[in-house]
Amino acid sequence: MPYPKKLQEIVDLFEHLDEPEKRENLIVYADQADSHTPVDEEDYALEDVRKDEECTDTVGIFLKEEAGGGVTFRVSLGPQVQTLTRAMTAILCEGLSGETPQTVREVPADFVPKIVGGQLVRQRSQTVYYVLGRMKGACQVYERRKAMAE
Amino acid sequence: MSVAPDTQTKFTAYAHPESLVSTEWVAQHLDDPNVRVIESNEDVLLYDTGHLPGAVHIDWRADLNNDLIRDYVDPKGFAELCERHGITPDMTLIFYGDKSNWWACYALWVFRLFGHQDVRVMDGGRQKWQAEERAFTREVPRYEHSAYPVPDHRRDDEIRAFYADTLAHSIAKKPLIDVRSPGEFRGEITHMPEYPQEGVLRGGHVPGAQSVPWKTAANDDGTFKSREELEKIYTQDLGLGQDDDIVAYCRIGERSSHTWFVLKYLLGYRKVRNYDGSWTEWGNMVRSPIERSDS
Repeated sequence: MPYPKKLQEIVDLFEHLDEPEKRENLIVYADQADSHTPVDEEDYALEDVRKDEECTDTVGIFLKEEAGGGVTFRVSLGPQVQTLTRAMTAILCEGLSGETPQTVREVPADFVPKIVGGQLVRQRSQTVYYVLGRMKGACQVYERRKAMAE
Repeated sequence: MSVAPDTQTKFTAYAHPESLVSTEWVAQHLDDPNVRVIESNEDVLLYDTGHLPGAVHIDWRADLNNDLIRDYVDPKGFAELCERHGITPDMTLIFYGDKSNWWACYALWVFRLFGHQDVRVMDGGRQKWQAEERAFTREVPRYEHSAYPVPDHRRDDEIRAFYADTLAHSIAKKPLIDVRSPGEFRGEITHMPEYPQEGVLRGGHVPGAQSVPWKTAANDDGTFKSREELEKIYTQDLGLGQDDDIVAYCRIGERSSHTWFVLKYLLGYRKVRNYDGSWTEWGNMVRSPIERSDS
Protein backbone atom coordinates (compact mmCIF):
# COMPACT_ATOMS: atom_id res chain seq x y z
CA MET A 1 0.00 0.00 0.00
CA PRO A 2 1.41 3.43 -0.90
CA TYR A 3 1.93 5.89 1.94
CA PRO A 4 -0.09 9.09 2.14
CA LYS A 5 1.47 11.78 -0.07
CA LYS A 6 2.95 13.97 2.67
CA LEU A 7 4.29 10.97 4.54
CA GLN A 8 5.81 9.62 1.32
CA GLU A 9 7.61 12.94 0.84
CA ILE A 10 9.14 12.64 4.31
CA VAL A 11 10.12 9.03 3.66
CA ASP A 12 11.72 10.07 0.34
CA LEU A 13 13.67 12.79 2.11
CA PHE A 14 15.02 10.48 4.80
CA GLU A 15 15.78 7.56 2.52
CA HIS A 16 18.39 9.64 0.74
CA LEU A 17 20.12 10.85 3.88
CA ASP A 18 23.17 9.28 5.40
CA GLU A 19 23.17 8.37 9.10
CA PRO A 20 24.43 11.70 10.52
CA GLU A 21 21.98 13.65 8.35
CA LYS A 22 19.14 11.38 9.44
CA ARG A 23 20.01 12.11 13.05
CA GLU A 24 20.15 15.85 12.41
CA ASN A 25 16.78 15.85 10.69
CA LEU A 26 15.24 13.70 13.40
CA ILE A 27 16.38 16.25 15.96
CA VAL A 28 14.76 19.00 13.89
CA TYR A 29 11.50 17.06 13.88
CA ALA A 30 11.82 16.31 17.60
CA ASP A 31 12.16 20.04 18.23
CA GLN A 32 8.98 20.59 16.23
CA ALA A 33 6.92 18.18 18.34
CA ASP A 34 5.86 20.99 20.66
CA SER A 35 4.25 22.80 17.73
CA HIS A 36 1.84 19.89 17.38
CA THR A 37 0.46 20.05 20.91
CA PRO A 38 -3.30 20.74 21.30
CA VAL A 39 -4.41 24.36 21.37
CA ASP A 40 -7.28 25.90 23.30
CA GLU A 41 -8.90 27.43 20.23
CA GLU A 42 -9.49 24.10 18.53
CA ASP A 43 -12.31 21.62 19.09
CA TYR A 44 -11.39 17.97 18.97
CA ALA A 45 -13.70 15.16 17.98
CA LEU A 46 -11.74 12.76 20.16
CA GLU A 47 -9.31 13.20 23.03
CA ASP A 48 -7.39 10.20 24.34
CA VAL A 49 -4.91 11.08 27.08
CA ARG A 50 -3.36 8.26 29.01
CA LYS A 51 -0.21 6.67 30.32
CA ASP A 52 -0.02 3.09 29.16
CA GLU A 53 1.87 0.39 30.99
CA GLU A 54 4.23 0.13 28.02
CA CYS A 55 5.04 3.80 27.44
CA THR A 56 7.48 5.90 29.41
CA ASP A 57 5.14 8.83 29.95
CA THR A 58 1.67 10.20 29.29
CA VAL A 59 0.74 10.62 25.64
CA GLY A 60 -2.41 12.48 24.56
CA ILE A 61 -3.89 12.03 21.09
CA PHE A 62 -6.29 14.74 19.95
CA LEU A 63 -8.18 14.12 16.71
CA LYS A 64 -9.64 17.05 14.82
CA GLU A 65 -12.15 16.71 11.99
CA GLU A 66 -11.31 18.45 8.76
CA ALA A 67 -13.56 19.34 5.85
CA GLY A 68 -13.91 16.51 3.31
CA GLY A 69 -13.74 13.67 5.82
CA GLY A 70 -10.07 14.05 6.71
CA VAL A 71 -8.56 14.38 10.17
CA THR A 72 -5.53 16.03 11.71
CA PHE A 73 -3.77 15.14 14.94
CA ARG A 74 -2.46 17.10 17.87
CA VAL A 75 -0.33 15.22 20.36
CA SER A 76 0.74 16.01 23.92
CA LEU A 77 3.87 14.27 25.15
CA GLY A 78 5.14 13.91 28.69
CA PRO A 79 8.71 15.01 29.44
CA GLN A 80 10.02 11.43 29.70
CA VAL A 81 9.08 10.54 26.13
CA GLN A 82 12.20 9.69 24.13
CA THR A 83 13.61 12.00 21.48
CA LEU A 84 12.99 9.51 18.69
CA THR A 85 9.34 9.21 19.67
CA ARG A 86 9.05 13.01 19.74
CA ALA A 87 10.49 13.14 16.23
CA MET A 88 8.10 10.47 14.99
CA THR A 89 5.19 12.36 16.54
CA ALA A 90 5.99 15.48 14.50
CA ILE A 91 6.52 13.36 11.37
CA LEU A 92 3.16 11.63 11.83
CA CYS A 93 1.27 14.84 12.59
CA GLU A 94 2.68 16.35 9.42
CA GLY A 95 2.63 13.25 7.24
CA LEU A 96 -0.90 12.14 8.07
CA SER A 97 -2.49 15.58 8.18
CA GLY A 98 -5.77 15.70 6.27
CA GLU A 99 -5.94 11.95 5.60
CA THR A 100 -9.11 9.99 6.25
CA PRO A 101 -9.34 7.84 9.38
CA GLN A 102 -9.40 4.73 7.20
CA THR A 103 -6.18 5.74 5.47
CA VAL A 104 -4.51 6.37 8.82
CA ARG A 105 -5.62 2.96 10.10
CA GLU A 106 -4.19 1.27 7.03
CA VAL A 107 -0.81 2.99 6.96
CA PRO A 108 1.77 0.19 7.20
CA ALA A 109 4.38 0.71 9.90
CA ASP A 110 7.23 -0.27 7.61
CA PHE A 111 7.97 3.38 6.87
CA VAL A 112 9.46 3.77 10.34
CA PRO A 113 12.83 2.07 9.66
CA LYS A 114 12.98 3.87 6.31
CA ILE A 115 12.91 7.18 8.15
CA VAL A 116 14.81 6.27 11.28
CA GLY A 117 17.30 3.82 9.83
CA GLY A 118 18.06 0.35 11.13
CA GLN A 119 20.64 1.61 13.62
CA LEU A 120 18.18 3.43 15.82
CA VAL A 121 15.19 1.06 15.83
CA ARG A 122 16.21 -1.47 18.44
CA GLN A 123 15.66 -2.53 22.01
CA ARG A 124 14.73 0.44 24.15
CA SER A 125 13.62 2.54 21.19
CA GLN A 126 10.59 0.51 20.19
CA THR A 127 8.25 3.21 21.47
CA VAL A 128 8.91 4.84 18.12
CA TYR A 129 5.95 2.78 16.90
CA TYR A 130 3.76 3.71 19.84
CA VAL A 131 2.34 7.03 18.65
CA LEU A 132 1.30 5.56 15.28
CA GLY A 133 -0.52 2.80 17.14
CA ARG A 134 -2.32 5.34 19.30
CA MET A 135 -3.32 7.42 16.25
CA LYS A 136 -4.72 4.32 14.57
CA GLY A 137 -6.60 3.44 17.72
CA ALA A 138 -8.04 6.94 17.91
CA CYS A 139 -9.23 6.67 14.31
CA GLN A 140 -10.89 3.34 15.04
CA VAL A 141 -12.79 4.75 18.02
CA TYR A 142 -13.71 7.88 16.07
CA GLU A 143 -15.10 5.81 13.19
CA ARG A 144 -17.11 3.61 15.55
CA ARG A 145 -18.61 6.58 17.32
CA LYS A 146 -19.46 8.20 14.04
CA ALA A 147 -21.10 5.04 12.71
CA MET A 148 -23.18 4.72 15.89
CA ALA A 149 -24.31 8.31 15.64
CA GLU A 150 -25.52 7.85 12.08
CA MET B 1 47.85 11.34 35.13
CA SER B 2 45.25 10.74 37.83
CA VAL B 3 43.00 13.68 38.59
CA ALA B 4 42.26 14.62 42.20
CA PRO B 5 38.98 13.11 43.46
CA ASP B 6 35.89 15.03 44.42
CA THR B 7 36.05 15.46 48.18
CA GLN B 8 32.35 16.06 48.79
CA THR B 9 31.35 14.79 52.21
CA LYS B 10 28.74 12.42 50.81
CA PHE B 11 31.34 10.72 48.62
CA THR B 12 34.00 10.32 51.29
CA ALA B 13 31.76 7.87 53.14
CA TYR B 14 31.69 5.40 50.24
CA ALA B 15 34.13 2.48 50.00
CA HIS B 16 35.71 4.00 46.90
CA PRO B 17 35.03 7.74 47.14
CA GLU B 18 37.14 8.39 44.06
CA SER B 19 34.55 6.63 41.89
CA LEU B 20 31.95 9.39 42.12
CA VAL B 21 32.08 13.05 41.14
CA SER B 22 29.51 15.80 41.51
CA THR B 23 28.07 17.94 38.73
CA GLU B 24 29.97 20.84 40.28
CA TRP B 25 33.27 18.96 40.05
CA VAL B 26 32.57 18.07 36.43
CA ALA B 27 31.74 21.69 35.60
CA GLN B 28 35.15 22.65 36.97
CA HIS B 29 36.95 19.96 34.95
CA LEU B 30 35.33 20.31 31.54
CA ASP B 31 38.54 21.72 30.09
CA ASP B 32 40.89 19.44 31.96
CA PRO B 33 42.98 17.61 29.32
CA ASN B 34 43.36 14.63 31.65
CA VAL B 35 39.60 14.19 31.89
CA ARG B 36 37.26 12.85 29.24
CA VAL B 37 33.53 13.15 29.86
CA ILE B 38 31.45 10.38 28.29
CA GLU B 39 27.68 10.42 27.81
CA SER B 40 25.83 7.13 27.40
CA ASN B 41 22.04 7.00 27.18
CA GLU B 42 19.02 4.88 26.59
CA ASP B 43 17.46 7.63 24.44
CA VAL B 44 19.38 7.13 21.20
CA LEU B 45 19.13 10.76 20.11
CA LEU B 46 19.50 12.50 23.44
CA TYR B 47 23.20 13.29 23.02
CA ASP B 48 22.41 14.93 19.67
CA THR B 49 19.87 17.24 21.31
CA GLY B 50 22.58 18.65 23.57
CA HIS B 51 25.31 17.36 25.88
CA LEU B 52 27.93 18.59 28.32
CA PRO B 53 30.52 20.75 26.57
CA GLY B 54 33.36 18.52 25.42
CA ALA B 55 31.52 15.28 26.19
CA VAL B 56 31.80 12.40 23.74
CA HIS B 57 29.03 9.94 23.05
CA ILE B 58 29.30 6.22 23.53
CA ASP B 59 26.35 4.25 22.24
CA TRP B 60 25.80 1.09 24.28
CA ARG B 61 24.74 -0.85 21.21
CA ALA B 62 26.73 0.55 18.29
CA ASP B 63 30.01 1.19 20.13
CA LEU B 64 30.18 -1.46 22.85
CA ASN B 65 28.45 -4.48 21.37
CA ASN B 66 29.33 -6.89 18.61
CA ASP B 67 25.91 -7.85 17.32
CA LEU B 68 27.20 -10.62 15.08
CA ILE B 69 28.20 -12.79 18.02
CA ARG B 70 26.09 -11.13 20.73
CA ASP B 71 29.07 -10.10 22.79
CA TYR B 72 31.08 -7.01 23.56
CA VAL B 73 33.70 -5.65 21.24
CA ASP B 74 37.05 -7.37 21.43
CA PRO B 75 40.17 -5.71 22.93
CA LYS B 76 41.16 -4.34 19.52
CA GLY B 77 37.71 -2.85 18.99
CA PHE B 78 37.83 -1.32 22.44
CA ALA B 79 41.24 0.25 21.80
CA GLU B 80 39.97 1.69 18.52
CA LEU B 81 36.92 3.14 20.26
CA CYS B 82 39.15 4.87 22.81
CA GLU B 83 41.47 6.16 20.12
CA ARG B 84 38.54 7.67 18.18
CA HIS B 85 37.67 9.71 21.25
CA GLY B 86 41.24 10.66 22.08
CA ILE B 87 41.22 8.55 25.24
CA THR B 88 44.49 7.33 26.70
CA PRO B 89 44.91 4.63 29.38
CA ASP B 90 45.90 7.14 32.06
CA MET B 91 42.94 9.42 31.45
CA THR B 92 40.19 9.99 34.03
CA LEU B 93 36.87 9.03 32.49
CA ILE B 94 33.64 10.52 33.77
CA PHE B 95 30.48 8.69 32.75
CA TYR B 96 27.01 10.20 32.84
CA GLY B 97 23.70 9.71 31.10
CA ASP B 98 19.93 9.46 31.31
CA LYS B 99 17.79 7.08 33.39
CA SER B 100 19.66 7.65 36.65
CA ASN B 101 22.94 6.67 34.98
CA TRP B 102 21.93 3.13 33.97
CA TRP B 103 23.84 3.32 30.71
CA ALA B 104 26.67 5.33 32.21
CA CYS B 105 27.23 2.50 34.69
CA TYR B 106 26.88 -0.02 31.87
CA ALA B 107 29.54 1.77 29.78
CA LEU B 108 31.78 2.13 32.84
CA TRP B 109 31.40 -1.61 33.49
CA VAL B 110 32.45 -2.36 29.90
CA PHE B 111 35.46 -0.06 30.28
CA ARG B 112 36.40 -1.98 33.40
CA LEU B 113 36.08 -5.24 31.43
CA PHE B 114 39.02 -3.92 29.45
CA GLY B 115 40.88 -2.76 32.51
CA HIS B 116 40.64 1.02 32.16
CA GLN B 117 41.62 2.15 35.63
CA ASP B 118 40.27 5.60 36.39
CA VAL B 119 36.55 5.47 35.77
CA ARG B 120 34.03 7.60 37.66
CA VAL B 121 30.32 8.36 37.53
CA MET B 122 28.78 11.83 37.70
CA ASP B 123 26.29 11.52 40.56
CA GLY B 124 22.78 12.34 39.36
CA GLY B 125 23.72 12.11 35.71
CA ARG B 126 22.12 14.15 33.02
CA GLN B 127 18.99 14.73 35.05
CA LYS B 128 20.86 16.57 37.80
CA TRP B 129 23.00 18.57 35.38
CA GLN B 130 19.82 19.70 33.61
CA ALA B 131 17.97 20.45 36.85
CA GLU B 132 20.83 22.73 37.86
CA GLU B 133 20.50 24.52 34.53
CA ARG B 134 24.10 23.90 33.61
CA ALA B 135 25.38 24.33 30.09
CA PHE B 136 24.55 22.01 27.21
CA THR B 137 25.88 22.23 23.69
CA ARG B 138 25.15 20.56 20.37
CA GLU B 139 28.72 21.00 19.25
CA VAL B 140 30.35 17.60 18.84
CA PRO B 141 33.95 17.74 20.07
CA ARG B 142 36.76 16.48 17.87
CA TYR B 143 39.75 15.11 19.73
CA GLU B 144 43.02 14.15 18.19
CA HIS B 145 43.36 10.41 17.70
CA SER B 146 45.12 8.90 20.68
CA ALA B 147 47.25 5.82 21.10
CA TYR B 148 45.50 3.25 23.27
CA PRO B 149 47.34 -0.07 23.59
CA VAL B 150 45.16 -3.07 22.84
CA PRO B 151 44.33 -4.66 26.22
CA ASP B 152 45.76 -8.15 26.52
CA HIS B 153 42.38 -9.61 27.42
CA ARG B 154 38.85 -8.80 28.44
CA ARG B 155 38.30 -9.45 32.14
CA ASP B 156 35.11 -11.42 31.76
CA ASP B 157 36.07 -13.78 34.57
CA GLU B 158 36.37 -10.95 37.09
CA ILE B 159 33.21 -8.87 36.75
CA ARG B 160 31.00 -10.64 34.21
CA ALA B 161 28.79 -13.69 34.69
CA PHE B 162 27.58 -15.89 31.85
CA TYR B 163 24.58 -18.20 31.80
CA ALA B 164 26.56 -21.21 33.05
CA ASP B 165 28.08 -19.15 35.87
CA THR B 166 24.66 -17.94 36.92
CA LEU B 167 23.16 -21.43 36.79
CA ALA B 168 26.00 -22.74 38.97
CA HIS B 169 25.46 -19.78 41.27
CA SER B 170 21.75 -20.58 41.52
CA ILE B 171 22.36 -24.27 42.24
CA ALA B 172 24.98 -23.41 44.88
CA LYS B 173 22.51 -20.95 46.45
CA LYS B 174 25.01 -18.10 46.31
CA PRO B 175 23.76 -14.49 46.40
CA LEU B 176 21.84 -13.64 43.24
CA ILE B 177 20.23 -10.23 43.01
CA ASP B 178 17.38 -9.59 40.62
CA VAL B 179 17.25 -5.82 40.20
CA ARG B 180 14.16 -5.69 37.97
CA SER B 181 10.81 -4.35 39.08
CA PRO B 182 8.77 -6.50 41.50
CA GLY B 183 6.25 -7.27 38.74
CA GLU B 184 8.96 -8.65 36.49
CA PHE B 185 10.47 -10.63 39.36
CA ARG B 186 7.14 -12.25 40.19
CA GLY B 187 6.58 -13.08 36.53
CA GLU B 188 3.41 -11.00 36.32
CA ILE B 189 4.79 -8.93 33.47
CA THR B 190 7.33 -9.80 30.79
CA HIS B 191 8.44 -6.25 30.14
CA MET B 192 9.77 -3.42 32.22
CA PRO B 193 6.99 -1.10 33.45
CA GLU B 194 6.63 1.73 30.95
CA TYR B 195 8.44 -0.16 28.19
CA PRO B 196 7.26 -2.39 25.36
CA GLN B 197 7.71 -6.16 25.41
CA GLU B 198 11.27 -6.87 24.40
CA GLY B 199 10.97 -10.44 23.26
CA VAL B 200 11.07 -12.63 26.33
CA LEU B 201 9.00 -15.81 26.41
CA ARG B 202 8.58 -16.41 30.13
CA GLY B 203 8.15 -14.30 33.22
CA GLY B 204 9.74 -15.11 36.56
CA HIS B 205 13.21 -15.08 38.06
CA VAL B 206 16.34 -17.19 38.43
CA PRO B 207 15.76 -19.76 41.21
CA GLY B 208 17.10 -18.45 44.48
CA ALA B 209 17.39 -14.85 43.33
CA GLN B 210 16.35 -12.13 45.72
CA SER B 211 14.47 -9.08 44.53
CA VAL B 212 16.16 -5.76 45.16
CA PRO B 213 15.05 -3.35 42.41
CA TRP B 214 17.86 -1.08 41.21
CA LYS B 215 15.74 1.94 42.12
CA THR B 216 16.13 1.24 45.83
CA ALA B 217 19.73 2.48 45.49
CA ALA B 218 18.81 5.79 43.84
CA ASN B 219 17.20 8.99 44.98
CA ASP B 220 14.45 10.65 42.94
CA ASP B 221 16.96 13.14 41.52
CA GLY B 222 19.01 10.30 40.05
CA THR B 223 21.80 10.51 42.64
CA PHE B 224 22.98 7.49 44.59
CA LYS B 225 21.72 7.00 48.11
CA SER B 226 24.11 7.56 50.98
CA ARG B 227 26.46 4.84 52.21
CA GLU B 228 24.35 4.39 55.31
CA GLU B 229 21.16 3.95 53.29
CA LEU B 230 22.84 1.52 50.91
CA GLU B 231 24.25 -0.55 53.75
CA LYS B 232 20.77 -0.85 55.23
CA ILE B 233 19.48 -2.25 51.92
CA TYR B 234 22.27 -4.60 50.92
CA THR B 235 24.20 -5.41 54.09
CA GLN B 236 21.55 -5.41 56.80
CA ASP B 237 18.34 -6.32 54.98
CA LEU B 238 19.79 -8.57 52.26
CA GLY B 239 22.55 -9.89 54.47
CA LEU B 240 25.39 -9.64 51.97
CA GLY B 241 28.84 -10.23 53.41
CA GLN B 242 32.04 -8.59 52.22
CA ASP B 243 33.44 -11.87 50.91
CA ASP B 244 30.25 -13.08 49.24
CA ASP B 245 30.39 -14.02 45.59
CA ILE B 246 27.54 -11.91 44.18
CA VAL B 247 25.82 -11.92 40.78
CA ALA B 248 23.33 -9.24 39.72
CA TYR B 249 21.04 -9.34 36.71
CA CYS B 250 18.11 -7.53 35.13
CA ARG B 251 16.75 -7.77 31.59
CA ILE B 252 19.70 -6.83 29.38
CA GLY B 253 22.34 -5.92 31.93
CA GLU B 254 22.04 -2.15 32.19
CA ARG B 255 19.99 -1.81 35.39
CA SER B 256 22.18 -4.46 36.98
CA SER B 257 25.25 -2.42 35.97
CA HIS B 258 23.84 0.30 38.22
CA THR B 259 23.57 -2.17 41.12
CA TRP B 260 27.00 -3.65 40.26
CA PHE B 261 28.50 -0.16 40.56
CA VAL B 262 26.78 0.39 43.91
CA LEU B 263 27.97 -2.92 45.35
CA LYS B 264 31.49 -2.76 43.94
CA TYR B 265 32.42 0.88 44.31
CA LEU B 266 30.09 2.47 46.83
CA LEU B 267 29.90 -0.44 49.27
CA GLY B 268 33.18 -2.13 48.41
CA TYR B 269 32.03 -5.73 47.95
CA ARG B 270 35.01 -7.58 46.57
CA LYS B 271 33.46 -10.08 44.19
CA VAL B 272 30.48 -8.77 42.24
CA ARG B 273 29.64 -9.82 38.71
CA ASN B 274 27.05 -8.55 36.27
CA TYR B 275 25.12 -11.18 34.32
CA ASP B 276 24.59 -9.18 31.16
CA GLY B 277 22.72 -11.96 29.36
CA SER B 278 20.14 -11.39 32.09
CA TRP B 279 16.48 -12.23 31.72
CA THR B 280 16.41 -11.96 27.92
CA GLU B 281 18.77 -14.93 27.88
CA TRP B 282 17.63 -16.80 30.98
CA GLY B 283 13.90 -16.42 30.32
CA ASN B 284 14.24 -17.71 26.77
CA MET B 285 16.84 -20.42 27.24
CA VAL B 286 15.54 -23.94 26.62
CA ARG B 287 15.49 -25.98 29.83
CA SER B 288 16.56 -23.10 32.03
CA PRO B 289 14.70 -23.33 35.36
CA ILE B 290 12.70 -20.40 36.69
CA GLU B 291 10.74 -19.54 39.79
CA ARG B 292 7.63 -17.43 40.14
CA SER B 293 7.40 -17.09 43.90
CA ASP B 294 7.01 -13.71 45.61
CA SER B 295 10.11 -14.02 47.71
